[in-house]
Amino acid sequence: MKPKVAFFDFTSCEGCQLDVLNLTGEELLDLLDGIEIVNFREAISNRSDDYDIAFIEGSISREAEIPRLQKIRSQAKVLVSLGACACIGGVNCLKNHLHMEEALKIVYGDAAKYYDTIPARPIHAVVPVDFYVRGCPPQTAEFVNVVKALLLGKKPDIPNFPVCTECKMAGNICVFERGMTCVGPVTRAGCNAICVTGGRRCWGCRGLVDEPNVDSEKEILKKYGLTPEQVLEKFKIYNSYAEVKK
Amino acid sequence: MKGNSVLIVDDEAIVRDSIRDWLADAGYDVSTAETAEQALDIVSRRDFSVMVLDVRLPGQTGLSVLKEVKAQRPWIKSIIITAYPSEETTAEATRLGAIDYVVKPLAPDDLEKLIRETIESAGKEPTVVARPAAQPRPSARAVQVKKSVVVTKRSFKNVVENLITTMDVYGVKAKQGKYVFDRINAPDELALDYDITAMPPTVFLFPARETILKFKFGEAGKAEPVVDTTPRVIIGVHPCDIHAIELLDEAFIAINPDPNYIARRQNSLIIGVDDLNPSPKSFAPSMGTHVAENGFDLMLTDIGNKYMVMIGSQKGADLLVKYAQVTEPTAEDIARQKTVHDEAHAKYKIHLDVPRERVPRMLEDSYDDPYWQARSNTCLSCGSCVMVCPTCFCFDVQDDVALNMKDGQRMRQWDGCMLVDFAKVATGENFRHDKASRFRHRIYRKGKYVLERYGKMGCVGCGRCATACLAEIASPLEAFNAIAESMRAKQAAQRSLRETRPESELYAPRFARVMRVEQLSAKEKVFEFKFLDGKDLGHQPGQFVSVSILGIGESPFGVATSPTRTGSFEVAVRNVGSVTNAVHNLQKNAVVGIRGPFGNGFNVKAMEGKDILFIAGGIGLFPVRSLIQYVLDRRKQFGRAIVLFGARSPAERLFLNELAAWKNNPDLEFAETVDRGTPDWTGNVGVITTLIPKLQIDPRKTVAVVVGPPIMYRFVIVELKKKDLADENIILSLERRMKCGVGKCGHCQINGVYVCQEGPVFSLAQLRTLREAV
Repeated sequence: MKPKVAFFDFTSCEGCQLDVLNLTGEELLDLLDGIEIVNFREAISNRSDDYDIAFIEGSISREAEIPRLQKIRSQAKVLVSLGACACIGGVNCLKNHLHMEEALKIVYGDAAKYYDTIPARPIHAVVPVDFYVRGCPPQTAEFVNVVKALLLGKKPDIPNFPVCTECKMAGNICVFERGMTCVGPVTRAGCNAICVTGGRRCWGCRGLVDEPNVDSEKEILKKYGLTPEQVLEKFKIYNSYAEVKK
Repeated sequence: MKGNSVLIVDDEAIVRDSIRDWLADAGYDVSTAETAEQALDIVSRRDFSVMVLDVRLPGQTGLSVLKEVKAQRPWIKSIIITAYPSEETTAEATRLGAIDYVVKPLAPDDLEKLIRETIESAGKEPTVVARPAAQPRPSARAVQVKKSVVVTKRSFKNVVENLITTMDVYGVKAKQGKYVFDRINAPDELALDYDITAMPPTVFLFPARETILKFKFGEAGKAEPVVDTTPRVIIGVHPCDIHAIELLDEAFIAINPDPNYIARRQNSLIIGVDDLNPSPKSFAPSMGTHVAENGFDLMLTDIGNKYMVMIGSQKGADLLVKYAQVTEPTAEDIARQKTVHDEAHAKYKIHLDVPRERVPRMLEDSYDDPYWQARSNTCLSCGSCVMVCPTCFCFDVQDDVALNMKDGQRMRQWDGCMLVDFAKVATGENFRHDKASRFRHRIYRKGKYVLERYGKMGCVGCGRCATACLAEIASPLEAFNAIAESMRAKQAAQRSLRETRPESELYAPRFARVMRVEQLSAKEKVFEFKFLDGKDLGHQPGQFVSVSILGIGESPFGVATSPTRTGSFEVAVRNVGSVTNAVHNLQKNAVVGIRGPFGNGFNVKAMEGKDILFIAGGIGLFPVRSLIQYVLDRRKQFGRAIVLFGARSPAERLFLNELAAWKNNPDLEFAETVDRGTPDWTGNVGVITTLIPKLQIDPRKTVAVVVGPPIMYRFVIVELKKKDLADENIILSLERRMKCGVGKCGHCQINGVYVCQEGPVFSLAQLRTLREAV
């Protein structure tokens, strides 16, 4: 029996779902040899409430999303957070420093009264999460690795070291040496430092490592010319949920 | 491969089969081949310990088989057999590496003995067979071309052009204002006058990720080793990196020869270049690695429009013969090379402060040095230092399965001891769980462990880790020098023993007269003291003194008056024990002993310009009073002064006149409370924390000075945190038992801190690191 896999989206852009199945035709067929996808709004119109593995995209930012998520959790044998919003709250949590009424007003203006919202939070803040596919968006390969690990019955190998490690392996010149700054030194690797390799810098979309030395990173950012406010901004973009919690 | 595998190559069936049967009976793993072609086909597919080879074969000769096998698998030992010995073939076979020569007809037991001895001797000395040709063994030195020649830059360009057409060429080129080793497609891309590359050239011998096995799983499971034998040349390797490669040779080849490393190493040519523009972070001369004598095929020194080229191997010599125009160096060339070497050497600005040989022993003796903890505090555990290091070679192994769930590969990937989970086992324990132990382990590897295990220092002084480390703590040179300094300080402390003048009066009190005694409440009295010699105490608010009653003993008391009030000082005493009882019995004009002042006191300089919130509970008022008086006497130097005082009951209030004066002083904001009221008490009732919520304070410019019983601290801190006061701006004074006051007796120690030295005044930020404190 092939495990039945379902995808669900909460507060998100649905880009993660599109990205994870960005496979070649042959790879996709191989994948579908191993699993049966029963619920996937981005690709198939059928829907089913019978599934084993649930991939959840997006963060939780409305009361109504909570019971819906809890229902999915009670059905799924394995629940996987997919993408930055689901794993760490992501950019949705940028609004958390505002009053919710104020946030609604900024976004919806006069129509604010028709909407409700709560401070955004990652999936694991609401229900237990078994595995994480990190990133904004996640890389197809990492999604595939997690699926393969689940099929093999082993724990996926997700690094608990900072992006710097993979950035050095990729042979990059350090962002700081190029006169810019990044949060790679405290951000969980697994992306092969794709942004730095592509000439950009790390914004921390994969969340922090288990034991981030945030104090030291902040001191380094200051040493490289950032004001304390700019330093906080660096962390806020993806990691304001973790930062607020501290 | 089995250790006793033998290949027999002979066209005579009777010889071949009889040797095969004899050896198989003796327990050998025997294969046979009839022809040269068959033999080569078998050798290309599998490995052997020993090849027994007939030199006369149909078609290709045995000697050509020998030559080919030597090229493919140089470690296979070959024994030649022939019915027609000649001196020429013997000499030729020996030149091609045959280890012995047996004449037919042969006695099978003699041959078996020879094979056994051959295998045994190979087992003892595996490095001899596996060592790449570029690194000469003493016995092989005779064939090395240890010679310097001159090649013009134009001619060298021609060498590179030709190499590009025949193999993968990697070399140093510029990238984003820095330098990297990368694929070279045209000679002009090379930047051989570079300072340092971001990543070392060892990445071509031990890449960040490589496949070591390919496998199929399921019922027909099998695993095949994978090696990379692509011919390549690495151009522009600095001497320090060549030393690093020699260390990797030791680590990967000396025991359990590593097939992946050896395949790459044997198929890589190394063209070095002297480092004439060393990075400011490099300290190669201190590690003895700024020059290289071995470990390269060619070594270039830029002497203007030409290179002085040292030939390190036959392959290097062949390269020059084939593609370059070579001339003998002139006296001028040799002088020029010496000059550029000397100039380069003078450019190194950082050096080891101790002889290199002393580093391992020094580290051995410094395992518990506070340096490891202190210096690793800002470590990001980001792994940059170990990733960019040319001598780091630790790795992780992971399986990668294809989506078809049938095929897969086992990969190895760089790992490093500075990463948090490096020493974590499946059950969850982490044997190097803290930054300090990881930091120390890395430095120990660099200066001690690797040296002891492989005979070469684990650091070649390239300076890459110091360049990559954002926290600026990674340089082994800095660690070695800091440890050396720490050891020197310890030695200096011992050396100066004879010259140290003892403080003979350290424990002897000065004498003071009681000028005034006042009863404060049932148990408390205040005493005014004046030194017999008329001098002032010379204290800071918040410091304490030891009051000595000879015959009874000595006890510490906070000074209750400000140093601004000169001539005398006051000490308030609660009568709780024998010394305090004796003090309480003192009358006016009595004489007591005083030692001190001791401790740090309040940092009044740091409080200038700030609003001060004084919170005193019970007799905590004594030391706080010294600071309140100080602030009142220098009122203009401070902002608001708010005093909160709490006593258990109206009867236990202290300094009643002063409390009344403070209440009416427009320079002070004053509030007080008692825990339990009495019928005639008209003031506040409630614990002191009830006064705090009503306050309006600016957390950015307020310093809270809190002194009272330990229980009070917990609750007051909670209330102050609600006012957003930073830990640095909450100042507390701790009471601890003290005997000596001079940092010796140990009674007042909390964790690593002596209250009489670093205290009694601490900020909450400091106390948060001292778990015994509150």
